[in-house]
Amino acid sequence: MFEFIGYIMLSPLFVALAACSFVYFRRSMHMFQLNMYKFPAQFKWYRQNMKWLALNLIAPFAALAFLLVANLLIDGNEHAHAPWFGLVIILLLLVLIAILVLGVVFFAVGKTKAKKKLVFTPRVLRMCITSGLIYLSAGAILILFFDYALFIFPFVPFLSLFLPLLANFINTPIEKLINLRYINDAKRIMKSHANLVTIGITGSYGKTSTKYFLTSLLSEKFNTLMTPASFNTTMGVVKTIRNQLKATHEIFICEMGLMWLGDIAELCQIVQPKHSILTSIGPQHLETMGSLENIISEKFEIANCINPDNGLVFLNYDNEFIRERELDKKIIRYGLSENARDFRADEITVSDKGTDFTVTAPNGATARFSTRLLGAHNVQNLTGAIAVAHTLGVEMNDLIRLVKRIEPVEHRLQIINKGENIIIDDAFNSNPVGAKAALDVLKNFDGERFLRFLVTPGMVALGEKEFELNKELGEYAKNCCDFAVLINEKQAIPIKAGLVESGFPTDKIHVFKNLLDGLDFVNNYNSDKRKVILLENDLPDNY
Amino acid sequence: MKIKLAVFFGGKSVEHEVSVITALQAVKSLDNEKYEIIPVYIDKNNCMYTGILAGKIEYYTDIPNLIRQSIRVIPVREGEKILLVKYPSRFGKKVISEIDIAFPLGHGTTMEDGVFQGLLQFLGVPFVGCNVLSAACGMNKYVQKILLKNEGIPVLNCIKITSKDYFSDTEKIVKLIAEKVGFPTVIKPINLGSSVGIKIAQTQSEAADSIEHAFLFAHEIIIETAVQNLREVNVAVLGDCDEAVASECEEPLAGDEILSYKDKYLSNSAKGKSQLDKSSGMASLSRKIPAEIPTELREKIRKIAIESFKILGCSGVARVDFLYNNSTGELFYNEINTVPGSLAYYLWEPVGIKYPALLDKLINLALKRERENKNVNFSFETNILSGARLSKLGGKNGK
Repeated sequence: MFEFIGYIMLSPLFVALAACSFVYFRRSMHMFQLNMYKFPAQFKWYRQNMKWLALNLIAPFAALAFLLVANLLIDGNEHAHAPWFGLVIILLLLVLIAILVLGVVFFAVGKTKAKKKLVFTPRVLRMCITSGLIYLSAGAILILFFDYALFIFPFVPFLSLFLPLLANFINTPIEKLINLRYINDAKRIMKSHANLVTIGITGSYGKTSTKYFLTSLLSEKFNTLMTPASFNTTMGVVKTIRNQLKATHEIFICEMGLMWLGDIAELCQIVQPKHSILTSIGPQHLETMGSLENIISEKFEIANCINPDNGLVFLNYDNEFIRERELDKKIIRYGLSENARDFRADEITVSDKGTDFTVTAPNGATARFSTRLLGAHNVQNLTGAIAVAHTLGVEMNDLIRLVKRIEPVEHRLQIINKGENIIIDDAFNSNPVGAKAALDVLKNFDGERFLRFLVTPGMVALGEKEFELNKELGEYAKNCCDFAVLINEKQAIPIKAGLVESGFPTDKIHVFKNLLDGLDFVNNYNSDKRKVILLENDLPDNY
Repeated sequence: MKIKLAVFFGGKSVEHEVSVITALQAVKSLDNEKYEIIPVYIDKNNCMYTGILAGKIEYYTDIPNLIRQSIRVIPVREGEKILLVKYPSRFGKKVISEIDIAFPLGHGTTMEDGVFQGLLQFLGVPFVGCNVLSAACGMNKYVQKILLKNEGIPVLNCIKITSKDYFSDTEKIVKLIAEKVGFPTVIKPINLGSSVGIKIAQTQSEAADSIEHAFLFAHEIIIETAVQNLREVNVAVLGDCDEAVASECEEPLAGDEILSYKDKYLSNSAKGKSQLDKSSGMASLSRKIPAEIPTELREKIRKIAIESFKILGCSGVARVDFLYNNSTGELFYNEINTVPGSLAYYLWEPVGIKYPALLDKLINLALKRERENKNVNFSFETNILSGARLSKLGGKNGK
């Protein structure tokens, strides 16, 4: 009888536990997706949230202790009949529920403003199904064969945080089979498309911009398909081929991302590019790639698959890692420096309208281009796109018009005139080279007429060099801005150090918890001058 | 991988049967190596059917049977793809085929006047020929004349009247005709091609008959000056607003003063002949190619044809018809056919463009327009409403 009442009284606890488990599971799954279902990245997230993991481990112990006491009380204590007894139990229950709610609030509400929401892809759904089965079978086994099953329940939220990993592990063979089927289908489609010219693009930076530029330049004359947004993983490319490639397409521009060893070779095998472009090599994704040497050899995989008889490899010859490598393929060198013997952009002038530059083709054709884009790296990427488009048969005169039409890619050095203020939005995934280019643009605004703000949380995903590179960013920023508005205390440390060491006035460095606070500060700052605000690298959620 | 080309023809139009001939002629000439052709027959209620029989002319002698043996389909968008799906489908969806490009080959109302083009534009499938606006202008004889007159193209004086205008005050209208247009006069329905419903009125007394005849075919008619010593010259134009070329000129020969529908389409095929060859349809008429006209006039006609084509914003192939006064040398733009009978292929062969090549060019023009459209934003990626408090907009009910 009392046992029964006890269970009823415990039921809010079960509800709270279930809700908490669900929220934890969802959050963990979300992170797992952002971390591209890779264990090391997910592990990093666990490490960063150690405190909360610990609390979620301790709270169940507390709960367990409570349950034990409650059980004892219900079973054997004569006070169990006393009216205060119920109150005590309810009170204890409330405390425990409060702890769980706190956890839920932290995980579910505290960081809700997700930039990339959890997408219920078939893969995620399959993991959810597996997880559900794990819950059910584990629950059934416990209840059927284990007398003290009740004691396990408080640990369920904690365990739920790791469930996506387990589900993923169990699903691995299924996922592999499913992926293989999709990959083979994509290969079949590519094969049936005999006249399609595929162009592979990779590079540590600039590949996405170059892809957009090249697509714009080719689209007037050819039916062109490019891999959309950042669909640059194997499965992203496979999806593009299966869903979007049509018989009417003449050119397929395929961005190839490099996160893990072997990615590029795998992609090349699927799409078999006729030509390829290597936009740059630098210390991107060092965390997953190990060493710069690995990155260089991996990136050059995109050149290895090119047929030396009729394929061309377009190389950004401003990049020293690219220059140093010898290739037994037909290469086209582009860039801004003397090294770019084939397509070189020079006579670069910058105004508030954008950038003007001159490109000379190997056949002597020369043209003066104007673009609304800013920054030397954009000119570099445009030159790469011009080199490919011209080689594929688009006349220089047409290219001038087409280049003029190119819009800045959103969040990549995009100028936004917002009333009084000018915002240079460079929020998308920053890297050292891009960050310096953005700072150069900021520097170009006349300090007499403009008040220049750098708003940044610094750069991430740079491996062991992260601190050093961020410090360098601080040093570089010294001459480029009037105010440094740093977001996130932890991330701010190296940049601040760099700024201070190079002699930037401390009172012009401001650190804020989040972007909105930082922007509030900038907005409320009183000045006669027009404000120019460089938004450099907004952090994704998983950092 | 072959390009999946859906050919649409038939439709709710007086030129339904002609369209079948035009379409199946085109199907015969399309490159089978390059295109996978999906014939889609649209019946007179605008329901769509496909199947092997829909591509064979001999089955069109018994259309109810053809429909029974075909699959009714509807075009729908799914993600990036345009599909022809079976309708009605009992279990889930049944995809009959994907469509890469649509080729509308219907003549006249609902098929040539922008109505069907609207469906294609709405679906977002690349298609051959004029877009909604130019197809609509090309069909409305009054609107196109106003537009062209404004740009300095020579057109005949005309007035537009509605059936209500006419029947409520006939005398006034007849007076108006005498005043603004004069006799003899040509009376035609505003939106029909292939000479349907067209009559000439020599005098006021004849006018009533002709007008009432024209109102059998449309609620609006136009009345324009009849050209004396008339010679007709037609020329086709191929291209789009950026670039267009003109074909050889033809002079259609007719016993009557105006080519009648019978002349145009029934002279051969009405005899129950179901054999489809190059001599049927529009191509079968007696005509002189090239038209026996002075080179100067030929060039003038070709030039005006291209200008008119561009002003109306046309795309693909169109036939522009001119009226010429053989004694005074006056030349007038008469009308445009944005889906000309037999696609006017017989006017292109003399200038060195064979029918299959013409069709290829048309398809490339469709893809070119698609590329251009893709460079323009039609919608923003973010939902402007997502941040708004819609309840505030909902008024009383919003609470």
